[in-house]
Amino acid sequence: MNETLKKELQSTFNGVEIVDIHETRTAIIVPSVSVPVVLRKLKESGLNRLSLLSCVDWIGDGKFEIVYILTSYMQNDDEYTPNDEWHVFLKTKIPRDHASLKSAIDIFENAEPYEREIHELFGVHFDGHPRLTPLFLTQKYEVPPFRKDFDTRQYVKDTYDAIPMVED
Amino acid sequence: MAHKYSLHAVYFCTGCGIIEIPPVITARWDAERFGVIPVPTPRQGNLFMITGYVSVKTLEAIIRSYEQMPDPKYTVGFGSCPINGGMYWDSYNTIKHLDKYIPVDGWIAGCMPRPEAVFIGVTHLWTLIDKGKADGYLRYKKNYASYRKNQEALFGELGWPPLYELPNWKKEETISKR
Amino acid sequence: MTQVKETAKNEVQRELEMYFGPQHLGMVGNFSITLTVQGDRIVKAAANPGYLHRGFEKLMEYRTWIQNFPLVCRVNVVEPDHMEMIYSMAVEKLAGIEVPERGHYVRSIYLELARVGSHLFGLWAYANMLGFDTVAQWAMYHRDLILDLFEALTGGRVYHIYIWPGGVRRDFPKGFKDKIVSTLHQIGGCVPDYDDTFFKNRLFYDRAHGIGKLTAEKAQRLGATGQTLRATGMKYDIRKVEPYAAYDTVEWEVPTRTDGDAYSRIWVVRDEMIESVHMIFKLLEGMPEGPVFNRPPNPLRWNIPSGEAYVRCESSRGELGCYIVSDGGDKPYRVHFRTPSYPHGLTILEDVLVDASVADVGNTMISLYVVAPEIDR
Repeated sequence: MNETLKKELQSTFNGVEIVDIHETRTAIIVPSVSVPVVLRKLKESGLNRLSLLSCVDWIGDGKFEIVYILTSYMQNDDEYTPNDEWHVFLKTKIPRDHASLKSAIDIFENAEPYEREIHELFGVHFDGHPRLTPLFLTQKYEVPPFRKDFDTRQYVKDTYDAIPMVED
Repeated sequence: MAHKYSLHAVYFCTGCGIIEIPPVITARWDAERFGVIPVPTPRQGNLFMITGYVSVKTLEAIIRSYEQMPDPKYTVGFGSCPINGGMYWDSYNTIKHLDKYIPVDGWIAGCMPRPEAVFIGVTHLWTLIDKGKADGYLRYKKNYASYRKNQEALFGELGWPPLYELPNWKKEETISKR
Repeated sequence: MTQVKETAKNEVQRELEMYFGPQHLGMVGNFSITLTVQGDRIVKAAANPGYLHRGFEKLMEYRTWIQNFPLVCRVNVVEPDHMEMIYSMAVEKLAGIEVPERGHYVRSIYLELARVGSHLFGLWAYANMLGFDTVAQWAMYHRDLILDLFEALTGGRVYHIYIWPGGVRRDFPKGFKDKIVSTLHQIGGCVPDYDDTFFKNRLFYDRAHGIGKLTAEKAQRLGATGQTLRATGMKYDIRKVEPYAAYDTVEWEVPTRTDGDAYSRIWVVRDEMIESVHMIFKLLEGMPEGPVFNRPPNPLRWNIPSGEAYVRCESSRGELGCYIVSDGGDKPYRVHFRTPSYPHGLTILEDVLVDASVADVGNTMISLYVVAPEIDR
């Protein structure tokens, strides 16, 4: 299944680059506009489970890399096949300023909290997400805290250490 | 001071340290022989154990619960994180010193403290109560202006009126911010 | 915030917004849910995490590979051993370090003991919530016996820092195998008491039957793993799907149920505990001799070649995964933990609480086995 899927992807979409990281892990790198169609194609070919939606900040290149980790549930309820181990990392790069991407909620419904967290901690906007409100944080930060140019030790010195102890 | 032998602990799991509280209050390391039992609401409690690190969101809930407890009340910082930040000293979301915001009567060091350390802490609190040195609630009343100023420096506007009279406070609409 | 709605019988029922907030006797861990209720029925539920957010993944970028080990076990406070295992697996995958065979067996026994302890903690929380205080006290006591074993092995009751890249820190001390066997016999001998008092009790059935029901299709659509998925019928267990450590050397079965409600989930937990105890006995018998540790390169000056990896293991709540990226330096570039409570506590909880009664909120939440520090990290 892996070889036929690879050939199909490369013939149907352009700009697709496939890298085998490990015998059970494959990376597929696409431009950001093709992400919804490639996700739908992968879901139809059996990769019906989104394990994780992550974001890596490559500040040297000025880009965010959004990673979708896809795998499959078992075909029938109690038979284990070697194919169940296979994971696909679908990666795409978007620019750091005005970072935005189309939401994956209509394809994978459980992507909702992951996108909300990435919006809050990195500042990426997802078009079509129903509620992009803060999930964890209550304070306002000038730079979203997980970006590489946010220095957490400096922030601690400026905010928490500046409050004085109460003298008796 | 007989009330020291029946401290009612408010049941609020604030951080990591919650993992050592169930062993302390159940059968093996029985805390009830020291008079400590958990109660559901702060209106009935007089011992507040802050178990572990305190994030900014939790601090709001802690201040509200602390102000609802009736006097005399005692606060114990449990673990090394409320003392000076502990393991998360460089985190952007945890406060580093708890006694800038509410008064603390005693600290129990450790990460996690053993249940025996909790009982040594409770018996030490009894001697402090006898000598009159466990006066966190009196210090809160005396220095309320400084405590409130620190709380407002962290949160901006607080959504509730001050607990004691403050000379410069303007009475505005007090609706909770949420 | 309050709206007045007219129902069909011209009764006026208000919609109120309530906080099932962090300071609540029915809440385990620091987590809060904002409920919109009409009478006793819930119309909408919105989970409100963030009370325990420390920004782990940011803090880990400031510490070297080896300095992260004491930090990473505090992500899940109830079960720190699987967090050490997953980070160690990730570092070994990136650096290409092999673990000797006896090291795999020791790791498996250690992780299964941690799983039994974590399930006993979950049983304390659930039985306390329903009001079965006796069973809760027994469960906590038996878990304390397992913590005594950990203290004899590693020196600490809760945070052990025992798993190291390349194996485990030290081998079993003399007489430890007999201690494990006698402790497990003591706990296993009490299973008939647990069954009579709690698991086969009519009151437990009445309170848990039909609560938080999930069909197999919905569980897969919303990303469930662990007991939440196995209670709907699928035998999805990472120890069988993608075996790690010594799990493929012993014979064992994955317990499942088919109903998908809270009753089935707690029964799957009970069956898993018993299966873990049998697995520990088989692993102890088949353990080979040899070293337990392959020394990694000098940990104070350790640069790992650049690359990325996604590893996963089965914690007591579901699939625990770690996506790790290295850029060739001495600190991790990006670490992201895929914790099992994230889909359970956010997506599935909000879906399953619609049209439930307020009295069942704690019941549902604890039966889904949500642990709040895992969501916030």
